[in-house]
Amino acid sequence: MTTAPTTTRMRPSRKRTMLLLAAPSVVLLLLICTYPLVYAAIQAVHNGSLINTGQYVGLQNFTLTLPTPEFRNAALFTVVFLLAGVFGSWAIGLGLALLLRMPVPGAKVFRVLLLLPWVMPIVVSATAWNWLVATRDSPLPTIARALGFGDVLFLADPTLAVITVCVVKVWLSFPFMMLMSSSALASVEDSVYEAARLDGAGPWQRFWFVTLPMTAKSTYISWVLMAIFCVNDFPTIYLLTGGGPVDATSSLIVLAYRKVFQDFQTGPGVAIAFTMTFVLAIVSALLFSRIRKADVA
Amino acid sequence: MSLAPQAAAPAPPAALQPPTTGTSARAFRSQWLRFAVLLVITLLAMAPVLTTVLLAFRPAADSSESSLFTLENFERVLRDTDVLRWLANSLLVACSTVVVSVVVAAPAGYVLSRGRGKVVGGFSLLLFVLQSLPVITSVIPLFILFSRMGLVDNLLGLTIVYVGSTISVTTWMMAAYFDSIPASLEEAAWVDGLSVFGSFSRIVLRNSYPGILSAAVFAFLLAWNDYLVALVFLHSDAVLNLPVGLQNFFQQNATDWGGVMAVAVIMLLPPCIVFAALHRYFSVGGIGGALAGR
Repeated sequence: MTTAPTTTRMRPSRKRTMLLLAAPSVVLLLLICTYPLVYAAIQAVHNGSLINTGQYVGLQNFTLTLPTPEFRNAALFTVVFLLAGVFGSWAIGLGLALLLRMPVPGAKVFRVLLLLPWVMPIVVSATAWNWLVATRDSPLPTIARALGFGDVLFLADPTLAVITVCVVKVWLSFPFMMLMSSSALASVEDSVYEAARLDGAGPWQRFWFVTLPMTAKSTYISWVLMAIFCVNDFPTIYLLTGGGPVDATSSLIVLAYRKVFQDFQTGPGVAIAFTMTFVLAIVSALLFSRIRKADVA
Repeated sequence: MSLAPQAAAPAPPAALQPPTTGTSARAFRSQWLRFAVLLVITLLAMAPVLTTVLLAFRPAADSSESSLFTLENFERVLRDTDVLRWLANSLLVACSTVVVSVVVAAPAGYVLSRGRGKVVGGFSLLLFVLQSLPVITSVIPLFILFSRMGLVDNLLGLTIVYVGSTISVTTWMMAAYFDSIPASLEEAAWVDGLSVFGSFSRIVLRNSYPGILSAAVFAFLLAWNDYLVALVFLHSDAVLNLPVGLQNFFQQNATDWGGVMAVAVIMLLPPCIVFAALHRYFSVGGIGGALAGR
């Protein structure tokens, strides 16, 4: 009530100041983010290289690249990587968040230490994982041999390489899910649990009928964000396997990188990147409107 | 102060149940059971970190030193590699990214937080969509553009790309924090004759150190941890930074694990220092925290 008159009595110079305040970031965004998108769109319909634009070829880059088995495999692996990354890290992250809510000695220390995988530079953690699993004589293959599994080649066998890369992704991402879940759990009031307890709900029922529905919005946001992070993740895969063996772990972003910077086929590479961008832009715009609606409701 | 008894009020019902020795002993046991579970998980989660640190300080197999702890790996990489230059380059790029990103994002965040109408809504949507796009899409055209302008193989070019890829998230984070500062403070100042810019810089910014620090931590970690952009943009020895330097060193000396891990520890230190000092201001993935707060 009291604020209404002041807001209408806004100073006339307010709008101009607001424009000036937003100007630097708008200019930067146009130059560094929007211009490349437009340029990428142009590149996607030309057969150029990194040096010249080349000739206009219409949608040929898309029609010739997207139906190839190479692209299909990459898309399939990206989906596997995404599902493992999202739900694996969510399950572990939520479990840890629930555990840390209960009285535990040293909970604060655990909470900080468990964030390390997320804070650690990926180049460093990939190097450490390489030491742990890469060769025949690394610690994990040695343990597997001692347990009677024979020679386990974590990064050289196609199926195992997919599993290893997914496990590393879950290891990298669970701290994110843990923090998102923690803040969501903290927002549920204790009285709700108390009421459920008085109604005779056991721990599992309370989890299933109170915790999950009450944190649904935040869970949904964290899933979509993690899905976006997974699709955009280049270094985890590239530093562990380089996309191999025999393209088994070649995701869309790794494939796009290799097309442009190793095979020097800018058109097909940009076509792949652009397809990803298009899908992600739609997903992200949908998410944005969902959040907006949830806020209003 | 008068709030304290009210806040404590819900506690009595639980205390009404007389704590028999049986239940408290069970509670005690389950507490330590949870502790054990957490300890195992934490140790597993920290295995790669512990590995890195242990290997960096362990003498090489053919070393004359017999102790369990040594600094010879560090001495060797400092002598034989350009690790100090990589470190300096990484620090320069990360710190410039933080400064530019925060300086540009703070006013934009203010507009996002206080502005109304369709234009501001569109700006907000644009920022949100841009942050979710794959870096590879912008890296390819920027590589072509920057190679014409001489910004490839150049730390300035790298910084520009990092500023571009942090700016939308830092703007969102600042806006989320500015939302928590009551507009009535500013309105009072306007009545007293302060301009909009004056109220932004003297009232909002001055009360937003936590928000600014969160955005700075986010930008620092992103610029420090990135690999893809550095891999594409940096080639010559003079401009290599830690991610690319470490990776090259690893590929050329795959058997010198002590040396590789010594470089890795040097790369691990700055983010760990930042995290240890500012972990209260650490928000996961930036946008996640901003979304949760808005």
